[in-house]
Amino acid sequence: MALRKGDGLKIFLGLWIAAVIYTMFLVVPQYVGLGDAGRIIIVHVPVAWITSAAFCLSAIYSIIYLWKRNPASDVAAVAAAEVGTLYCIFATITGSIFAEVVWGTFWNWDPRETSILVLLLIYAAYFALRSSVDDSERRRRLAAVYNIFAAVTMPFLLFVAPRVADSTLHPNCAFLQGSKCDGISLSLTGAKIGQLGDVVIEFKSLVKTGTLTHATIEVRMPGMKNIATLVPSLDGDGKPADRPEFPGQQFRMVLLEADATAGTIRVNMQAPGTNLLSNPRTLWVFLASNLGFLALAFWLYKIRRTILQVQLTLTPGEINI
Amino acid sequence: MQALELTHITLDYGRRRVLHDLSLQVTTGQVVVVTGSNGSGKSTLLRVIAGLQRPTAGAVWCIADTVRYAPLQMRHAIGWMAPDLMLYRELTGHENLRFFADVRGFTITDTAIAELLCEVGLEGRGGDLLATYSSGMTHRLRYAYALLHQPALLLLDEPSVMLDATGHDLLARVVARQRQHGMTIIATNDERERRFADVLVALEVAI
Amino acid sequence: MIDPLIWRATRAIFLRELRSELRNRQALNAVALFAICSVVTVSLGLGPLMPSADVALVHAAFLWIVLLFAAFTALARVFVVEEEQRTAAALRLAAPPIAVYLGKLCFNLVLLLGLTILVTILAIVMLHIRVGASDLLIGMLLSGSLALVAGTTLVAAIIARSSSRGALFAVLSLPILIPMLVTAVRGTAMALAGVNWERGMAPIQTLLAYAVAMFVTSLFLFATVWE
Repeated sequence: MALRKGDGLKIFLGLWIAAVIYTMFLVVPQYVGLGDAGRIIIVHVPVAWITSAAFCLSAIYSIIYLWKRNPASDVAAVAAAEVGTLYCIFATITGSIFAEVVWGTFWNWDPRETSILVLLLIYAAYFALRSSVDDSERRRRLAAVYNIFAAVTMPFLLFVAPRVADSTLHPNCAFLQGSKCDGISLSLTGAKIGQLGDVVIEFKSLVKTGTLTHATIEVRMPGMKNIATLVPSLDGDGKPADRPEFPGQQFRMVLLEADATAGTIRVNMQAPGTNLLSNPRTLWVFLASNLGFLALAFWLYKIRRTILQVQLTLTPGEINI
Repeated sequence: MQALELTHITLDYGRRRVLHDLSLQVTTGQVVVVTGSNGSGKSTLLRVIAGLQRPTAGAVWCIADTVRYAPLQMRHAIGWMAPDLMLYRELTGHENLRFFADVRGFTITDTAIAELLCEVGLEGRGGDLLATYSSGMTHRLRYAYALLHQPALLLLDEPSVMLDATGHDLLARVVARQRQHGMTIIATNDERERRFADVLVALEVAI
Repeated sequence: MIDPLIWRATRAIFLRELRSELRNRQALNAVALFAICSVVTVSLGLGPLMPSADVALVHAAFLWIVLLFAAFTALARVFVVEEEQRTAAALRLAAPPIAVYLGKLCFNLVLLLGLTILVTILAIVMLHIRVGASDLLIGMLLSGSLALVAGTTLVAAIIARSSSRGALFAVLSLPILIPMLVTAVRGTAMALAGVNWERGMAPIQTLLAYAVAMFVTSLFLFATVWE
């Protein structure tokens, strides 16, 4: 008998994710500075995104439940929360591995790590609440209220707490202490000295060799007696080539622009991993990974939703979900 | 509030069906007596009418000037008492009634509260803490709680349980007065109370 | 909101709560003793800390941990006692839900402010905490208490209606309180270190914004929990 359409889609989805993982390890180029560990973000980032999406979906269904009071919406909220939990655990694990390899610590309390952990705690609390209310109507009602209430705290966790907390290791200029998203401009004839965070830098010279433009920059770190000299460079297409590491830190210096004739440069500090997606091959695999994990999440969600719905119709009021 | 309407009330506790497709109409002046063995759902029905419990299916409507309201919107017009109704133990009987009057948002004088306490048979005990009340006295205070705001719909669950011989007289007085301006629903198995009924609802234990 | 009946009911519920707790002081005493014991335990174990860059942060974190756990033992009572003594039905049939929420919120706020004063003074004395900017510290503790109460009162109402009450309160509250706690600890550390008001305003604003957001959401959701 021929395969049904659904089976075909399932097999296709399996192959798709297998292909994403294959290319992730073997086709995508290694990123300078991150090594092979950088490959994990092709899985980690989509999974983390979908976790947030599942959380939003769950909260939306909770709102619908309180509005319409139909158990089907509650079932959908539970299914979304379950898929979200699964993805949340996966995102936490992949993130920890990445953090250990790149930053040398499994856990750093950086705002995004905190927020995903809080998400996990919220889900745990949500299921704990559900299992401790006996009456099914009340269980749905209280769980929906808690879900919405918890969702309201998320903006604070994502946008406000990071501003207050000290630093993040996540590769994003907005969260990186000392980084100004545009970098700072220095000139050999004008302002030679600038500051990136705690680091004082002094622009010494600019040399063009072949297609590469090298800037020589002296770096004074707080608490360090010696002055280090870094030589970041720019290739012929205006893309950063060599990104030297700040001494004793995980961050790198990157040359964004250089004008050899005028003697001006623009530099910034970057966490490892920035611009990872500027490679087109990586970008496509990344998008494919997003699509694959989204489809997987959707499929799991539909399965759970159907099972819970069936349970609900068979034993109304009995299920302890 | 002039009438009460129950439409196809069904209520499940888990797999057990307590109330099955119950419809009822009550208008001002009527006294309804609900009878049934233990576990037949008498108390549950009264809780549903009061708005303390949401039915699995069906609806309770309080009709005032031809507009339908949910019971919780008609809080000021419903008085409910039951053996499991508890008032605040750390307050005196008088303070309890004062508190519920404040919370319901109407003004009542101390004399009026004292009169109400006197009427339910708690004369001179209004200043005592509830923690010192006997079970019969507590039950008499429940009458006062239910009658405090002169509700149009009075729900009495096991009204004379725990009461002494004068308890029945109290109930007879309350029902007679309520008959003049409102509706009464009594859940009981007491033969004497069954005689108040204009409408008799007999509940059976559902299987 | 402007309905005077709501205010009257709110006031009645708040005063009733206060009167009940003052007449039966065991619970209040237990909470106060809990707070005192935690401060004493920490000061015994820690002793006065040597001045260092992190000492303000350590003190601030300690202060908020004690307050958090005192809050976990104290703030759920307003609803749990109603359910345990089975007075909830009487209140539910008589009071507008909003008034119930506001009354209990006010009582919790007073209770937590009392705890905050007790814990802070004890901690300052026993741990030799040096306060750099006392006015900023007061502002931080005040806005932090507001945020803590706004974030937990609805959760207290939720757990009162579940079967495992005490343990669940901490489990459900903690993830909701994390943004507020992070901000409060940092802000309090800044106040202890003695920064000026301009820098100290940012955490206070965050805490107040959190409090307002949780308060408004609670107003919308409370009737659903309470019904």
